[in-house]
Amino acid sequence: MTELGDRLRRLETVTDAGLAQLDVDELLDELLDRVRELLAVDTAAVLLLNPSGRYLVATAARGIEEEVSQGVRIPLGKGFAGRIAAEKRPVILEQVDHTNVLNPLLREKGIRSLLGVPLLVGGTVLGVLHVGTLTPRPFSADDTTLLQLVADRIALAVHARAAEVERAAATVLQRSLLPSALPEIPELEFAARYVPGGQGQVGGDWYDVFVLGSGAVCIVVGDVVGRGLTAAVEMGRLRHALRAYTLDTADPAELLDRLDRQVHQFEPDVMATVLCAVVDPSGEQMRLSCAGHPPPVISAGAGLPAAVLDLPADLPIGVTTSGRRHTSTVALPPGTAVCLYTDGLVERRGRSLTAGLDRLAEAMFAGPPESVCATVMQALVGAEPPSDDIALLVLRRQPAADTDTDTFELELPAVPSSLKPLRIAMRRWLAHVRADRQATADLLTAVGEACANAIEHAYGAAGGTVSVSLAYQAPDVIAVVGDTGRWRAARGSFRGRGIILMRALSDEVTIDRTDTGTRVRIRRTTTEGGPR
Amino acid sequence: MTDASMTVGHDSADTARIALFGEIDMANADEVEQQILGAIGNQLTAVTIDLSGLEYIDSAGLRVLFTLGSRLDILQIALRLVVPTGSSIRRVIDLSGMAAAIPVLSH
Repeated sequence: MTELGDRLRRLETVTDAGLAQLDVDELLDELLDRVRELLAVDTAAVLLLNPSGRYLVATAARGIEEEVSQGVRIPLGKGFAGRIAAEKRPVILEQVDHTNVLNPLLREKGIRSLLGVPLLVGGTVLGVLHVGTLTPRPFSADDTTLLQLVADRIALAVHARAAEVERAAATVLQRSLLPSALPEIPELEFAARYVPGGQGQVGGDWYDVFVLGSGAVCIVVGDVVGRGLTAAVEMGRLRHALRAYTLDTADPAELLDRLDRQVHQFEPDVMATVLCAVVDPSGEQMRLSCAGHPPPVISAGAGLPAAVLDLPADLPIGVTTSGRRHTSTVALPPGTAVCLYTDGLVERRGRSLTAGLDRLAEAMFAGPPESVCATVMQALVGAEPPSDDIALLVLRRQPAADTDTDTFELELPAVPSSLKPLRIAMRRWLAHVRADRQATADLLTAVGEACANAIEHAYGAAGGTVSVSLAYQAPDVIAVVGDTGRWRAARGSFRGRGIILMRALSDEVTIDRTDTGTRVRIRRTTTEGGPR
Repeated sequence: MTDASMTVGHDSADTARIALFGEIDMANADEVEQQILGAIGNQLTAVTIDLSGLEYIDSAGLRVLFTLGSRLDILQIALRLVVPTGSSIRRVIDLSGMAAAIPVLSH
């Protein structure tokens, strides 16, 4: 029995089944103890490469616990541990001094000799395992072989845990970032799907729908290059940055240009494709800009064939900021449906992108968005698990036959914070019936006052709702604001102006108070107008 | 939630020009009022409220201006409003009879 054979058998204990029950931190401590005993050394430590890949961080240590508690960081390529990680091979120091060891802890501790090996998985370095002695010691080739065996065991455990943690975190993040419910917007209907890619691993795909202060609706679909946690985190940053830019501009090309500049400045390693669309408050047209993203598929109405939109394909985000971006305008007649998606939907192994786009155009139709999503997913994905993640968003402008677009109904909680969303929704509808500027401003204020009265005077502490209906009867807009409470007299000073204002801004105001509620009817003439 | 913002400038040590932006309704009127009051110290002799950048105001917002008018009257600080002619804000201000309480200028 050789000595190496004996030690190898003892090493078996390092890989025994009992260890499988331990979590990674416990496993590291346990393995370091066994290594100290097996190699008859005084110290043992594991340093792991941090996510930036530029530093090794002390993660577990025995005999030199300060390494971990002080959060020792060693730059890759520098000093003893840094060299092992950079060169991916064992290093032996028989004589420790300040020229070959960066970490002052090792020198102060009185360590005389060091042996270190890389932690490798599939040729990728995860960190370093090193042992040290307080007396000079020539390490043998057998010592190195043994230590490398332990390092391989540690590397596998660390890698498995990192992958598991990352996958869980990415999934949680992805779920928290995708809208849990799409906003309810008069005249527009939405439906969406998100499916994670291979082995349920999420990527950087996202979609977003939100209403701007003007009443326009911003729709975004994007895909950050990469997978897992890094891509999901980056997706979140881009999504929020784009939302923030809509406070300043509603031009899709300008929005993407700003996003591009932000990525260049702050996230230089990121690349993403993004499609950004803004639907006018009237709902009649959509402006789009495309940053290297697959083009939307559109059908102009029930029974009409769907076609791939011909958009200028500007460069993806994060390539160069020098390229000019374009905004294209597409009409959205009532009933038009638009399908936005990420490449996972149309790209399949062994099938060309063109074939995927053709299949999508074939499957797509201008119907209720939920049915369109279901049909498209069935036709393009079926039962085959996708290798890349897929985001799909379908929007439809309500068909004229489905609903009387000359009327508008909204019911809101009777609280002050309802006033702003009411104005946004009213602006959209008034633009739709092409009310003139003056009538629009007057109606916003008059209806706002009627609602403010209901909010302030109609209900007790339990609260209630206020309903608003608008109808266009050429050339008038008739607004009816209703509540189910009983108005009390106004309180405080400088009150009662609301009703004066309401009357002054309208052509006719009638207020019906009954025991079951109050109904305010406002008529205001418009000079142009009429829905298309 | 309704958003408004303001900037405060000083033409001289004892005058202030407060410009309001965004929208004012019942949801944020109290907050706007507190911000305006907070910007007016007792060393001032005159304050101009500039509504050129405002996009919406309702009676709750008008109430803030009326209340401010009577408050500054007591403090003997002159108050005036700047509201561009022809704007939707000007229309509401004119209809409210504001000019009888506070001088309203066009620029």
